[in-house]
Amino acid sequence: MRLRPTPADLLAFAAAAALLAALHLHAWGGGGPVVTARVETPAGTRLLPLDRAGTYRVPGALGESVLEVRDGAVRFVDSPCRAKVCVRSGWARTSGDLVACLPNGVVVTLTGPDGEYDAINF
Amino acid sequence: MKPPAAQGRVPPQSALLRPEREDLRVAALAALAVALHVLEAALPSPVPGMKPGLANVVTLLALVRFGWRTAAWVAALRVLVSGLVLGTFLSPTFLLSAGGAAAALGALGLAARCPGRGFSPLGLGLVAAMAHMGGQLLVAWALFVPHPAVALLAAPLMTAAAAFGTLSGIIAWRILAQEEATEQA
Repeated sequence: MRLRPTPADLLAFAAAAALLAALHLHAWGGGGPVVTARVETPAGTRLLPLDRAGTYRVPGALGESVLEVRDGAVRFVDSPCRAKVCVRSGWARTSGDLVACLPNGVVVTLTGPDGEYDAINF
Repeated sequence: MKPPAAQGRVPPQSALLRPEREDLRVAALAALAVALHVLEAALPSPVPGMKPGLANVVTLLALVRFGWRTAAWVAALRVLVSGLVLGTFLSPTFLLSAGGAAAALGALGLAARCPGRGFSPLGLGLVAAMAHMGGQLLVAWALFVPHPAVALLAAPLMTAAAAFGTLSGIIAWRILAQEEATEQA
């Protein structure tokens, strides 16, 4: 049996090459903001994209919290609470990070595109 | 071989399940595949889920020489027996293995029906390995890690599958070529 690739073989190899190229592009190519900030307030939940710098005023239970977005990270600049734990928490920048002003009822969570789980372990 | 007459009562012939040629063939091939599978399980792997999959060479040989039915029996028995031997039966590892084998068999079934000159062992090896890894990733995503990051893992794992699948195809082809040469001699 001589090893001569048949047309079907060549087709299979071409399809495999295309599939691998697509997978690698998807895996290594940077694609938009990976992380979104999910801001929960007494009034409702909103999503902030982290790829655009900006300052956001968010209404809370006590008053307005001020959030700043810069370089793919988010922080509390000010909040009408006493301890300012939220402001001292500093920047949140990786998926799963969480900063919150509990007195004001504002919770900021960073999530991936639809990160429900980090992992499931058995 | 002499019948074991001295060893006491021998069941009447009618009560014996006599294996047919095909059964013996499946058993021998499956035993070979199980041995390769278990041997490979002992090898350390740089990335979880990445391994040569040499047992699939046996499935390829079974397909080319004896047809899809034999290949399916060999693959199913390999997954089952290896699971029992390695202690992974019904564990996530086993389910991944079974999902991969099922996907590979499905793809091989389609490939074997390909009109014209069809696939050579090389193409069959590639198709089987890619389907095997694809099936495994789908099972992993559906049952264990429902996270889009599984798609990121797909890139290196599918690349390895393509390489090892081609390697399996080359090995299968060499074995078939040698068999053919022996038969002609």
